[in-house]
Amino acid sequence: MTAIAGQPRERRALLEAAGISKRFAGLQAVGGSEGLSFDVFAGEFVGLIGPNGAGKSTTFDLLSGVLRSDSGAVTFDGRDVTEADPHMHARYGIGRTFQTPRSFESMTVLQNVVAGATNPGERLGAAFGRKWRGGERSATDAAKRILTRVGLADRASAPVSDLSGGELRMLEVARQLIRKPTLLLLDEPTAGVHPGLQDRLAALLRDIHREGMTLLVVEHNLHFLLALADHILVLAEGELIAQGTPADIRVDPVVVSAYLGSDSAA
Amino acid sequence: MNWPQLLVTVVTLGGIFGVVTLALNLQYARGGMINFGIVAYFAIGAYVYAIVTQRGPIGLDQYRFGFDWPWWSGLILAGIAALLFAALTGWPTLRLRGEYLALTTFAFAEVLHSLLLNERRIGNGTVGLANVDRPFSDWGPIEEKYVFAAAAALLLVLTLLAFRRLLSSPYGRALDAIRDDETAALAVGKAAERLRREVFLISAIPVGVAGAVYAMYTTLAQPSLFTAEITFFVWIALVLGGERSLYGVVLGTLGLVLFEEVVRAWPFETVRSAQIAASAEHVLTGLVFIAVLRYQPFQRTVSRLRVAP
Repeated sequence: MTAIAGQPRERRALLEAAGISKRFAGLQAVGGSEGLSFDVFAGEFVGLIGPNGAGKSTTFDLLSGVLRSDSGAVTFDGRDVTEADPHMHARYGIGRTFQTPRSFESMTVLQNVVAGATNPGERLGAAFGRKWRGGERSATDAAKRILTRVGLADRASAPVSDLSGGELRMLEVARQLIRKPTLLLLDEPTAGVHPGLQDRLAALLRDIHREGMTLLVVEHNLHFLLALADHILVLAEGELIAQGTPADIRVDPVVVSAYLGSDSAA
Repeated sequence: MNWPQLLVTVVTLGGIFGVVTLALNLQYARGGMINFGIVAYFAIGAYVYAIVTQRGPIGLDQYRFGFDWPWWSGLILAGIAALLFAALTGWPTLRLRGEYLALTTFAFAEVLHSLLLNERRIGNGTVGLANVDRPFSDWGPIEEKYVFAAAAALLLVLTLLAFRRLLSSPYGRALDAIRDDETAALAVGKAAERLRREVFLISAIPVGVAGAVYAMYTTLAQPSLFTAEITFFVWIALVLGGERSLYGVVLGTLGLVLFEEVVRAWPFETVRSAQIAASAEHVLTGLVFIAVLRYQPFQRTVSRLRVAP
Protein backbone atom coordinates (compact mmCIF):
# COMPACT_ATOMS: atom_id res chain seq x y z
CA MET A 1 0.00 0.00 0.00
CA THR A 2 1.30 3.43 -0.85
CA ALA A 3 1.46 6.27 1.60
CA ILE A 4 -1.29 8.21 -0.25
CA ALA A 5 -3.90 6.90 2.15
CA GLY A 6 -1.64 7.64 5.12
CA GLN A 7 -2.25 10.04 7.93
CA PRO A 8 -4.29 13.10 6.98
CA ARG A 9 -2.48 16.34 7.76
CA GLU A 10 -4.77 18.60 9.73
CA ARG A 11 -3.11 21.97 9.27
CA ARG A 12 -4.37 24.62 6.85
CA ALA A 13 -3.02 24.18 3.36
CA LEU A 14 -0.94 27.08 2.02
CA LEU A 15 -1.07 25.72 -1.51
CA GLU A 16 -3.84 23.50 -2.82
CA ALA A 17 -3.67 21.87 -6.24
CA ALA A 18 -7.10 20.39 -6.96
CA GLY A 19 -7.45 18.30 -10.10
CA ILE A 20 -4.94 20.26 -12.20
CA SER A 21 -3.86 18.84 -15.55
CA LYS A 22 -1.95 19.73 -18.70
CA ARG A 23 -1.87 18.16 -22.14
CA PHE A 24 0.72 18.94 -24.80
CA ALA A 25 -0.18 18.02 -28.38
CA GLY A 26 -2.71 15.49 -27.12
CA LEU A 27 -0.31 13.86 -24.67
CA GLN A 28 -1.14 14.03 -20.98
CA ALA A 29 1.84 15.64 -19.23
CA VAL A 30 0.23 16.18 -15.85
CA GLY A 31 -2.96 15.05 -14.21
CA GLY A 32 -4.02 11.69 -15.63
CA SER A 33 -7.76 11.05 -15.79
CA GLU A 34 -8.77 12.83 -12.60
CA GLY A 35 -6.20 15.58 -12.43
CA LEU A 36 -3.40 16.05 -9.97
CA SER A 37 -4.32 17.01 -6.40
CA PHE A 38 -2.09 17.69 -3.41
CA ASP A 39 -1.62 20.17 -0.60
CA VAL A 40 1.43 21.96 0.72
CA PHE A 41 1.09 23.20 4.29
CA ALA A 42 2.52 26.39 5.71
CA GLY A 43 6.04 25.88 7.06
CA GLU A 44 6.51 22.50 5.38
CA PHE A 45 9.50 21.33 3.37
CA VAL A 46 7.96 19.21 0.63
CA GLY A 47 9.91 17.23 -1.93
CA LEU A 48 8.45 16.44 -5.34
CA ILE A 49 10.15 13.45 -6.93
CA GLY A 50 9.61 11.13 -9.84
CA PRO A 51 11.38 9.64 -12.83
CA ASN A 52 12.24 11.68 -15.92
CA GLY A 53 9.13 12.81 -17.74
CA ALA A 54 6.92 12.42 -14.67
CA GLY A 55 5.65 15.99 -15.08
CA LYS A 56 7.47 17.63 -12.15
CA SER A 57 8.62 20.76 -13.96
CA THR A 58 5.26 21.06 -15.74
CA THR A 59 3.60 20.90 -12.33
CA PHE A 60 5.86 23.77 -11.21
CA ASP A 61 4.86 25.73 -14.31
CA LEU A 62 1.19 25.18 -13.45
CA LEU A 63 1.70 26.23 -9.83
CA SER A 64 3.65 29.37 -10.75
CA GLY A 65 1.38 30.52 -13.57
CA VAL A 66 3.89 29.95 -16.38
CA LEU A 67 1.35 27.49 -17.81
CA ARG A 68 -2.43 27.52 -17.38
CA SER A 69 -4.01 24.31 -16.16
CA ASP A 70 -6.48 22.61 -18.49
CA SER A 71 -8.68 21.73 -15.53
CA GLY A 72 -8.97 22.06 -11.76
CA ALA A 73 -7.77 24.90 -9.58
CA VAL A 74 -4.71 26.15 -7.74
CA THR A 75 -5.37 27.98 -4.48
CA PHE A 76 -2.61 29.82 -2.67
CA ASP A 77 -3.15 31.26 0.80
CA GLY A 78 -6.92 31.10 0.27
CA ARG A 79 -6.77 32.88 -3.11
CA ASP A 80 -7.62 31.18 -6.41
CA VAL A 81 -4.53 31.76 -8.56
CA THR A 82 -5.40 29.34 -11.36
CA GLU A 83 -5.83 32.08 -13.95
CA ALA A 84 -3.37 34.59 -12.49
CA ASP A 85 -0.40 35.75 -14.57
CA PRO A 86 3.04 34.51 -13.48
CA HIS A 87 4.16 37.91 -12.18
CA MET A 88 1.06 38.01 -9.96
CA HIS A 89 2.00 34.60 -8.53
CA ALA A 90 5.33 36.15 -7.56
CA ARG A 91 3.57 39.13 -5.99
CA TYR A 92 1.22 36.87 -4.05
CA GLY A 93 4.27 35.21 -2.51
CA ILE A 94 5.13 32.23 -4.73
CA GLY A 95 8.77 32.32 -5.73
CA ARG A 96 10.41 29.85 -8.07
CA THR A 97 13.66 28.83 -9.70
CA PHE A 98 14.03 26.93 -12.95
CA GLN A 99 15.43 23.61 -14.10
CA THR A 100 17.92 25.50 -16.26
CA PRO A 101 19.13 28.48 -14.22
CA ARG A 102 17.95 31.82 -15.53
CA SER A 103 19.61 35.17 -15.00
CA PHE A 104 19.71 38.74 -16.31
CA GLU A 105 22.85 38.65 -18.40
CA SER A 106 23.33 42.37 -18.87
CA MET A 107 23.61 42.84 -15.10
CA THR A 108 26.18 42.04 -12.46
CA VAL A 109 25.56 39.45 -9.77
CA LEU A 110 24.53 42.14 -7.27
CA GLN A 111 22.22 43.83 -9.78
CA ASN A 112 20.61 40.46 -10.49
CA VAL A 113 19.64 40.12 -6.84
CA VAL A 114 18.51 43.75 -6.50
CA ALA A 115 16.37 43.22 -9.62
CA GLY A 116 14.53 40.52 -7.70
CA ALA A 117 13.15 43.08 -5.27
CA THR A 118 10.05 45.09 -6.08
CA ASN A 119 10.61 48.84 -5.95
CA PRO A 120 7.95 51.59 -6.24
CA GLY A 121 10.20 53.08 -8.94
CA GLU A 122 9.07 50.30 -11.27
CA ARG A 123 5.91 52.34 -11.84
CA LEU A 124 6.15 54.88 -14.64
CA GLY A 125 5.05 57.90 -12.61
CA ALA A 126 7.34 57.10 -9.70
CA ALA A 127 10.34 56.39 -11.94
CA PHE A 128 10.71 60.10 -12.76
CA GLY A 129 10.60 61.04 -9.08
CA ARG A 130 13.13 60.41 -6.31
CA LYS A 131 11.09 58.47 -3.78
CA TRP A 132 12.37 55.13 -5.01
CA ARG A 133 15.93 55.90 -3.94
CA GLY A 134 15.34 54.87 -0.32
CA GLY A 135 13.92 51.52 -1.44
CA GLU A 136 16.86 51.09 -3.79
CA ARG A 137 19.38 51.61 -1.00
CA SER A 138 17.66 49.12 1.30
CA ALA A 139 17.32 46.59 -1.57
CA THR A 140 21.04 46.91 -2.31
CA ASP A 141 21.91 46.38 1.36
CA ALA A 142 19.58 43.38 1.53
CA ALA A 143 21.07 41.97 -1.68
CA LYS A 144 24.59 42.22 -0.25
CA ARG A 145 23.51 40.40 2.89
CA ILE A 146 21.84 37.66 0.83
CA LEU A 147 24.91 37.29 -1.39
CA THR A 148 26.99 36.79 1.73
CA ARG A 149 24.51 34.21 2.92
CA VAL A 150 24.61 32.22 -0.32
CA GLY A 151 28.40 32.56 -0.58
CA LEU A 152 28.53 34.88 -3.57
CA ALA A 153 29.61 38.10 -1.81
CA ASP A 154 33.00 38.07 -3.50
CA ARG A 155 31.34 37.79 -6.93
CA ALA A 156 28.95 40.74 -6.39
CA SER A 157 30.40 42.94 -9.11
CA ALA A 158 31.11 40.11 -11.57
CA PRO A 159 29.04 39.66 -14.70
CA VAL A 160 26.78 36.62 -14.45
CA SER A 161 28.56 35.06 -17.43
CA ASP A 162 31.54 34.51 -15.09
CA LEU A 163 29.54 32.29 -12.72
CA SER A 164 29.66 28.49 -12.73
CA GLY A 165 26.47 26.44 -13.11
CA GLY A 166 26.25 25.93 -9.36
CA GLU A 167 26.81 29.60 -8.63
CA LEU A 168 24.06 30.49 -11.09
CA ARG A 169 21.70 28.27 -9.11
CA MET A 170 22.70 30.00 -5.89
CA LEU A 171 22.14 33.35 -7.60
CA GLU A 172 18.61 32.28 -8.61
CA VAL A 173 17.86 31.35 -5.01
CA ALA A 174 19.32 34.68 -3.85
CA ARG A 175 17.12 36.58 -6.32
CA GLN A 176 14.08 34.90 -4.80
CA LEU A 177 15.21 35.31 -1.19
CA ILE A 178 15.24 39.09 -1.52
CA ARG A 179 11.50 38.86 -2.22
CA LYS A 180 10.89 36.86 0.98
CA PRO A 181 8.37 34.55 -0.71
CA THR A 182 5.90 32.65 1.45
CA LEU A 183 6.37 29.57 -0.73
CA LEU A 184 9.55 28.87 -2.67
CA LEU A 185 9.50 26.35 -5.52
CA LEU A 186 12.99 25.06 -6.35
CA ASP A 187 13.42 23.08 -9.55
CA GLU A 188 16.41 20.72 -9.37
CA PRO A 189 18.56 22.98 -7.18
CA THR A 190 21.50 20.53 -7.08
CA ALA A 191 21.69 19.73 -10.80
CA GLY A 192 25.21 20.53 -12.01
CA VAL A 193 26.28 21.71 -8.55
CA HIS A 194 29.52 20.30 -7.14
CA PRO A 195 29.32 18.49 -3.76
CA GLY A 196 30.84 21.33 -1.73
CA LEU A 197 28.25 23.77 -3.02
CA GLN A 198 25.51 21.17 -2.48
CA ASP A 199 26.38 21.10 1.22
CA ARG A 200 26.18 24.88 1.36
CA LEU A 201 22.83 24.76 -0.47
CA ALA A 202 21.48 22.13 1.94
CA ALA A 203 22.49 24.30 4.90
CA LEU A 204 20.86 27.33 3.31
CA LEU A 205 17.59 25.49 2.62
CA ARG A 206 17.57 24.14 6.15
CA ASP A 207 18.04 27.67 7.50
CA ILE A 208 15.35 29.36 5.43
CA HIS A 209 12.95 26.52 6.24
CA ARG A 210 13.70 26.94 9.93
CA GLU A 211 12.97 30.65 9.56
CA GLY A 212 9.46 29.77 8.39
CA MET A 213 9.61 29.67 4.60
CA THR A 214 7.58 26.91 2.97
CA LEU A 215 9.56 24.95 0.37
CA LEU A 216 8.49 22.72 -2.46
CA VAL A 217 11.51 21.19 -4.14
CA VAL A 218 11.82 19.07 -7.27
CA GLU A 219 15.01 17.06 -7.06
CA HIS A 220 16.61 14.03 -8.66
CA ASN A 221 19.20 13.75 -5.92
CA LEU A 222 17.14 11.67 -3.46
CA HIS A 223 19.93 11.50 -0.92
CA PHE A 224 19.91 15.31 -0.77
CA LEU A 225 16.14 15.71 -0.67
CA LEU A 226 15.14 12.89 1.65
CA ALA A 227 17.57 14.26 4.24
CA LEU A 228 15.87 17.65 4.22
CA ALA A 229 12.17 17.26 3.42
CA ASP A 230 9.29 16.71 5.87
CA HIS A 231 6.99 15.31 3.25
CA ILE A 232 7.48 13.74 -0.16
CA LEU A 233 5.15 13.70 -3.17
CA VAL A 234 5.90 11.10 -5.84
CA LEU A 235 4.82 11.65 -9.43
CA ALA A 236 4.88 9.12 -12.24
CA GLU A 237 3.47 9.79 -15.70
CA GLY A 238 1.83 12.97 -14.42
CA GLU A 239 -0.03 11.28 -11.56
CA LEU A 240 0.56 11.27 -7.85
CA ILE A 241 1.42 7.68 -7.00
CA ALA A 242 2.48 8.17 -3.40
CA GLN A 243 3.07 10.67 -0.67
CA GLY A 244 4.36 10.49 2.85
CA THR A 245 7.37 11.07 5.05
CA PRO A 246 10.84 10.34 3.64
CA ALA A 247 10.93 7.21 5.80
CA ASP A 248 7.63 5.98 4.29
CA ILE A 249 8.74 6.76 0.77
CA ARG A 250 12.09 4.97 1.12
CA VAL A 251 10.37 1.66 1.73
CA ASP A 252 7.25 2.10 -0.40
CA PRO A 253 7.38 -0.69 -3.04
CA VAL A 254 5.25 1.31 -5.51
CA VAL A 255 7.69 4.19 -5.34
CA VAL A 256 10.71 1.94 -5.57
CA SER A 257 9.20 0.20 -8.57
CA ALA A 258 8.09 3.33 -10.41
CA TYR A 259 10.99 5.56 -9.49
CA LEU A 260 13.94 3.27 -9.27
CA GLY A 261 12.79 0.45 -11.56
CA SER A 262 11.35 -2.99 -10.92
CA ASP A 263 14.77 -4.59 -10.30
CA SER A 264 15.33 -2.34 -7.32
CA ALA A 265 11.88 -3.16 -5.98
CA ALA A 266 12.71 -6.79 -6.03
CA MET B 1 31.07 74.01 -49.28
CA ASN B 2 29.26 76.18 -46.75
CA TRP B 3 30.30 74.42 -43.53
CA PRO B 4 28.46 76.68 -41.03
CA GLN B 5 25.21 76.17 -42.92
CA LEU B 6 25.90 72.45 -43.13
CA LEU B 7 26.46 72.21 -39.38
CA VAL B 8 23.23 74.07 -38.66
CA THR B 9 21.38 71.62 -40.91
CA VAL B 10 23.05 68.66 -39.21
CA VAL B 11 22.10 69.93 -35.76
CA THR B 12 18.52 70.58 -36.85
CA LEU B 13 17.90 67.31 -38.70
CA GLY B 14 20.15 65.37 -36.31
CA GLY B 15 18.12 66.73 -33.40
CA ILE B 16 14.80 65.83 -35.01
CA PHE B 17 15.82 62.34 -36.15
CA GLY B 18 17.86 61.79 -32.99
CA VAL B 19 14.62 61.99 -31.02
CA VAL B 20 13.11 59.29 -33.23
CA THR B 21 16.21 57.10 -32.83
CA LEU B 22 16.10 57.55 -29.05
CA ALA B 23 12.47 56.42 -29.04
CA LEU B 24 13.41 53.42 -31.15
CA ASN B 25 16.25 52.68 -28.74
CA LEU B 26 13.83 52.69 -25.82
CA GLN B 27 11.41 50.41 -27.64
CA TYR B 28 13.93 47.98 -29.11
CA ALA B 29 17.11 47.96 -27.03
CA ARG B 30 15.33 48.21 -23.71
CA GLY B 31 11.75 47.07 -24.37
CA GLY B 32 12.67 44.33 -26.86
CA MET B 33 10.07 45.52 -29.41
CA ILE B 34 10.93 45.74 -33.09
CA ASN B 35 9.01 48.68 -34.55
CA PHE B 36 9.35 48.92 -38.32
CA GLY B 37 6.60 51.51 -38.53
CA ILE B 38 7.99 54.31 -36.40
CA VAL B 39 7.63 56.75 -39.29
CA ALA B 40 3.86 56.57 -38.75
CA TYR B 41 4.10 58.28 -35.34
CA PHE B 42 6.42 60.88 -36.84
CA ALA B 43 3.93 61.50 -39.68
CA ILE B 44 1.01 61.73 -37.27
CA GLY B 45 2.85 64.46 -35.35
CA ALA B 46 3.60 66.40 -38.54
CA TYR B 47 0.06 66.18 -39.91
CA VAL B 48 -1.60 67.02 -36.59
CA TYR B 49 0.67 70.04 -36.19
CA ALA B 50 -0.15 71.16 -39.73
CA ILE B 51 -3.91 70.69 -39.32
CA VAL B 52 -4.04 72.38 -35.91
CA THR B 53 -2.01 75.44 -36.91
CA GLN B 54 -3.05 75.99 -40.55
CA ARG B 55 -5.93 78.14 -41.70
CA GLY B 56 -9.12 76.59 -43.05
CA PRO B 57 -9.27 75.46 -46.68
CA ILE B 58 -9.51 78.03 -49.44
CA GLY B 59 -9.59 77.85 -53.25
CA LEU B 60 -8.44 74.48 -54.56
CA ASP B 61 -7.63 73.04 -51.14
CA GLN B 62 -9.22 69.66 -50.61
CA TYR B 63 -8.47 69.24 -46.93
CA ARG B 64 -11.36 69.81 -44.54
CA PHE B 65 -9.75 70.92 -41.30
CA GLY B 66 -7.57 73.85 -40.37
CA PHE B 67 -7.94 75.39 -36.93
CA ASP B 68 -5.44 78.26 -37.01
CA TRP B 69 -4.43 77.60 -33.39
CA PRO B 70 -1.07 78.75 -32.00
CA TRP B 71 2.09 76.73 -32.70
CA TRP B 72 2.53 75.52 -29.13
CA SER B 73 -0.94 73.93 -29.13
CA GLY B 74 0.09 72.17 -32.34
CA LEU B 75 3.22 70.80 -30.65
CA ILE B 76 1.27 69.54 -27.64
CA LEU B 77 -1.47 67.98 -29.76
CA ALA B 78 1.15 66.36 -32.04
CA GLY B 79 2.57 64.54 -29.01
CA ILE B 80 -0.87 63.55 -27.76
CA ALA B 81 -1.96 62.35 -31.22
CA ALA B 82 1.17 60.18 -31.53
CA LEU B 83 0.45 58.74 -28.09
CA LEU B 84 -3.14 57.94 -29.09
CA PHE B 85 -2.00 56.40 -32.37
CA ALA B 86 0.50 54.28 -30.43
CA ALA B 87 -2.35 53.16 -28.14
CA LEU B 88 -4.47 52.30 -31.17
CA THR B 89 -1.71 50.35 -32.93
CA GLY B 90 -0.17 48.92 -29.76
CA TRP B 91 -3.37 47.40 -28.48
CA PRO B 92 -3.62 44.69 -31.18
CA THR B 93 0.11 44.30 -31.87
CA LEU B 94 2.02 44.23 -28.59
CA ARG B 95 1.18 40.63 -27.85
CA LEU B 96 3.28 39.80 -30.88
CA ARG B 97 7.04 39.36 -30.70
CA GLY B 98 10.05 39.66 -32.96
CA GLU B 99 9.47 39.67 -36.67
CA TYR B 100 5.69 39.40 -36.26
CA LEU B 101 5.61 42.70 -34.40
CA ALA B 102 8.02 44.20 -36.94
CA LEU B 103 5.76 43.23 -39.85
CA THR B 104 2.58 44.41 -38.13
CA THR B 105 4.00 47.82 -37.23
CA PHE B 106 5.35 48.13 -40.78
CA ALA B 107 1.87 47.31 -42.11
CA PHE B 108 0.27 49.96 -39.87
CA ALA B 109 2.70 52.58 -41.19
CA GLU B 110 1.95 51.58 -44.79
CA VAL B 111 -1.79 51.77 -44.13
CA LEU B 112 -1.38 55.27 -42.72
CA HIS B 113 0.79 56.30 -45.66
CA SER B 114 -1.81 54.98 -48.06
CA LEU B 115 -4.56 56.78 -46.17
CA LEU B 116 -2.70 60.09 -46.33
CA LEU B 117 -2.07 59.58 -50.03
CA ASN B 118 -5.64 58.73 -50.94
CA GLU B 119 -7.84 60.49 -48.42
CA ARG B 120 -7.51 64.07 -49.60
CA ARG B 121 -9.80 65.46 -46.92
CA ILE B 122 -7.09 64.87 -44.33
CA GLY B 123 -4.08 66.48 -45.94
CA ASN B 124 -4.67 67.22 -49.64
CA GLY B 125 -3.50 63.73 -50.72
CA THR B 126 -0.19 63.62 -52.60
CA VAL B 127 0.05 67.41 -52.67
CA GLY B 128 0.15 67.56 -48.89
CA LEU B 129 -0.24 70.53 -46.60
CA ALA B 130 2.19 73.10 -47.94
CA ASN B 131 1.70 76.15 -45.76
CA VAL B 132 2.64 74.83 -42.37
CA ASP B 133 3.05 77.54 -39.76
CA ARG B 134 6.70 78.41 -39.08
CA PRO B 135 6.54 80.24 -35.77
CA PHE B 136 10.18 81.24 -35.46
CA SER B 137 10.27 83.53 -38.50
CA ASP B 138 9.72 86.71 -36.52
CA TRP B 139 11.81 86.01 -33.44
CA GLY B 140 13.87 89.15 -33.23
CA PRO B 141 17.49 89.42 -34.35
CA ILE B 142 18.35 85.69 -34.28
CA GLU B 143 18.14 84.07 -37.66
CA GLU B 144 15.35 81.55 -38.04
CA LYS B 145 17.68 78.67 -38.95
CA TYR B 146 19.54 79.05 -35.64
CA VAL B 147 16.30 79.11 -33.69
CA PHE B 148 15.26 75.88 -35.43
CA ALA B 149 18.61 74.25 -34.72
CA ALA B 150 18.32 75.29 -31.07
CA ALA B 151 14.72 74.02 -30.85
CA ALA B 152 15.66 70.65 -32.37
CA ALA B 153 18.70 70.36 -30.10
CA LEU B 154 16.58 71.28 -27.07
CA LEU B 155 13.98 68.65 -27.96
CA LEU B 156 16.76 66.09 -28.34
CA VAL B 157 18.35 66.99 -25.00
CA LEU B 158 15.01 66.95 -23.16
CA THR B 159 14.15 63.55 -24.64
CA LEU B 160 17.61 62.23 -23.78
CA LEU B 161 17.39 63.46 -20.19
CA ALA B 162 13.87 62.08 -19.71
CA PHE B 163 14.81 58.66 -21.12
CA ARG B 164 18.05 58.59 -19.13
CA ARG B 165 16.16 59.33 -15.94
CA LEU B 166 13.63 56.62 -16.71
CA LEU B 167 16.24 54.03 -17.62
CA SER B 168 18.47 54.69 -14.62
CA SER B 169 15.53 54.07 -12.27
CA PRO B 170 14.21 50.66 -11.15
CA TYR B 171 11.82 50.99 -14.10
CA GLY B 172 14.79 50.78 -16.50
CA ARG B 173 16.24 47.84 -14.61
CA ALA B 174 12.90 46.03 -14.81
CA LEU B 175 12.91 46.64 -18.58
CA ASP B 176 16.44 45.23 -18.82
CA ALA B 177 15.40 42.21 -16.80
CA ILE B 178 12.46 41.55 -19.12
CA ARG B 179 14.65 41.95 -22.18
CA ASP B 180 17.32 39.62 -20.78
CA ASP B 181 14.94 36.87 -19.66
CA GLU B 182 11.22 37.50 -19.56
CA THR B 183 10.37 34.24 -17.75
CA ALA B 184 12.86 35.00 -14.97
CA ALA B 185 11.59 38.59 -14.77
CA LEU B 186 8.00 37.38 -14.40
CA ALA B 187 9.15 35.05 -11.64
CA VAL B 188 10.27 38.09 -9.63
CA GLY B 189 7.02 39.98 -10.19
CA LYS B 190 7.91 42.20 -13.14
CA ALA B 191 4.76 43.12 -15.08
CA ALA B 192 6.30 42.58 -18.51
CA GLU B 193 3.20 43.33 -20.54
CA ARG B 194 2.42 46.58 -18.73
CA LEU B 195 5.99 47.84 -18.95
CA ARG B 196 6.23 47.08 -22.65
CA ARG B 197 2.92 48.79 -23.35
CA GLU B 198 3.95 51.89 -21.39
CA VAL B 199 7.31 52.10 -23.17
CA PHE B 200 5.58 51.82 -26.53
CA LEU B 201 3.18 54.63 -25.60
CA ILE B 202 5.52 57.11 -23.94
CA SER B 203 8.21 56.76 -26.61
CA ALA B 204 5.64 57.83 -29.23
CA ILE B 205 5.16 61.26 -27.59
CA PRO B 206 8.57 62.79 -28.46
CA VAL B 207 8.38 61.18 -31.92
CA GLY B 208 5.10 63.03 -32.53
CA VAL B 209 6.63 66.30 -31.31
CA ALA B 210 9.69 65.71 -33.52
CA GLY B 211 7.31 65.18 -36.45
CA ALA B 212 5.72 68.55 -35.68
CA VAL B 213 9.14 70.27 -35.61
CA TYR B 214 9.99 68.56 -38.90
CA ALA B 215 6.77 69.88 -40.45
CA MET B 216 7.61 73.37 -39.16
CA TYR B 217 11.12 73.11 -40.55
CA THR B 218 10.08 71.90 -44.00
CA THR B 219 6.76 73.91 -43.89
CA LEU B 220 5.34 70.77 -45.44
CA ALA B 221 3.36 67.71 -44.40
CA GLN B 222 3.32 65.45 -47.44
CA PRO B 223 3.13 61.63 -47.75
CA SER B 224 6.38 61.50 -49.73
CA LEU B 225 8.24 62.86 -46.68
CA PHE B 226 7.02 60.05 -44.46
CA THR B 227 7.97 56.82 -46.16
CA ALA B 228 9.61 53.66 -44.82
CA GLU B 229 12.92 55.29 -45.77
CA ILE B 230 12.74 57.29 -42.52
CA THR B 231 12.10 54.14 -40.51
CA PHE B 232 15.15 52.45 -41.97
CA PHE B 233 17.25 55.59 -41.64
CA VAL B 234 16.68 55.70 -37.89
CA TRP B 235 17.21 51.95 -37.58
CA ILE B 236 20.60 52.32 -39.28
CA ALA B 237 21.44 55.22 -36.96
CA LEU B 238 20.44 53.08 -33.98
CA VAL B 239 22.69 50.19 -34.99
CA LEU B 240 25.56 52.52 -35.92
CA GLY B 241 25.39 54.26 -32.58
CA GLY B 242 25.20 51.09 -30.52
CA GLU B 243 21.83 50.07 -29.27
CA ARG B 244 22.79 49.88 -25.59
CA SER B 245 23.80 53.52 -25.24
CA LEU B 246 21.59 56.60 -25.41
CA TYR B 247 24.59 58.81 -26.20
CA GLY B 248 25.78 56.40 -28.87
CA VAL B 249 22.35 56.56 -30.47
CA VAL B 250 22.52 60.35 -30.63
CA LEU B 251 26.05 60.25 -32.06
CA GLY B 252 25.03 57.60 -34.58
CA THR B 253 22.17 59.78 -35.82
CA LEU B 254 24.28 62.93 -35.99
CA GLY B 255 27.01 61.04 -37.84
CA LEU B 256 24.60 59.58 -40.36
CA VAL B 257 22.91 62.94 -40.97
CA LEU B 258 26.33 64.61 -41.35
CA PHE B 259 27.40 61.96 -43.83
CA GLU B 260 24.27 62.42 -45.96
CA GLU B 261 24.40 66.20 -45.81
CA VAL B 262 28.07 66.31 -46.83
CA VAL B 263 27.33 64.16 -49.88
CA ARG B 264 24.31 66.31 -50.68
CA ALA B 265 26.12 69.64 -50.22
CA TRP B 266 29.36 68.68 -51.95
CA PRO B 267 29.94 70.99 -54.96
CA PHE B 268 30.14 68.36 -57.70
CA GLU B 269 31.36 69.58 -61.07
CA THR B 270 29.07 67.40 -63.13
CA VAL B 271 25.67 65.77 -62.77
CA ARG B 272 27.32 62.41 -63.39
CA SER B 273 29.71 62.77 -60.43
CA ALA B 274 26.82 63.82 -58.20
CA GLN B 275 24.93 60.68 -59.26
CA ILE B 276 27.95 58.51 -58.51
CA ALA B 277 28.36 60.19 -55.12
CA ALA B 278 24.68 59.58 -54.31
CA SER B 279 25.12 55.88 -55.11
CA ALA B 280 28.39 55.73 -53.20
CA GLU B 281 26.61 57.22 -50.18
CA HIS B 282 24.31 54.21 -50.04
CA VAL B 283 27.13 51.75 -50.66
CA LEU B 284 29.29 53.31 -47.94
CA THR B 285 26.39 53.43 -45.48
CA GLY B 286 25.79 49.74 -46.18
CA LEU B 287 29.45 48.82 -45.68
CA VAL B 288 29.67 50.73 -42.39
CA PHE B 289 26.43 49.09 -41.30
CA ILE B 290 27.77 45.59 -42.03
CA ALA B 291 31.07 46.37 -40.26
CA VAL B 292 29.24 47.62 -37.16
CA LEU B 293 27.00 44.55 -37.11
CA ARG B 294 30.01 42.28 -37.51
CA TYR B 295 32.29 43.82 -34.89
CA GLN B 296 29.73 45.46 -32.55
CA PRO B 297 32.27 47.96 -31.20
CA PHE B 298 29.74 50.01 -29.23
CA GLN B 299 28.10 47.06 -27.49
CA ARG B 300 31.50 45.76 -26.46
CA THR B 301 32.52 49.12 -25.07
CA VAL B 302 29.28 49.52 -23.15
CA SER B 303 29.37 46.01 -21.69
CA ARG B 304 33.03 46.55 -20.65
CA LEU B 305 32.09 49.77 -18.89
CA ARG B 306 29.04 48.23 -17.21
CA VAL B 307 30.77 45.34 -15.53
CA ALA B 308 33.85 47.25 -14.44
CA PRO B 309 34.17 46.83 -10.67
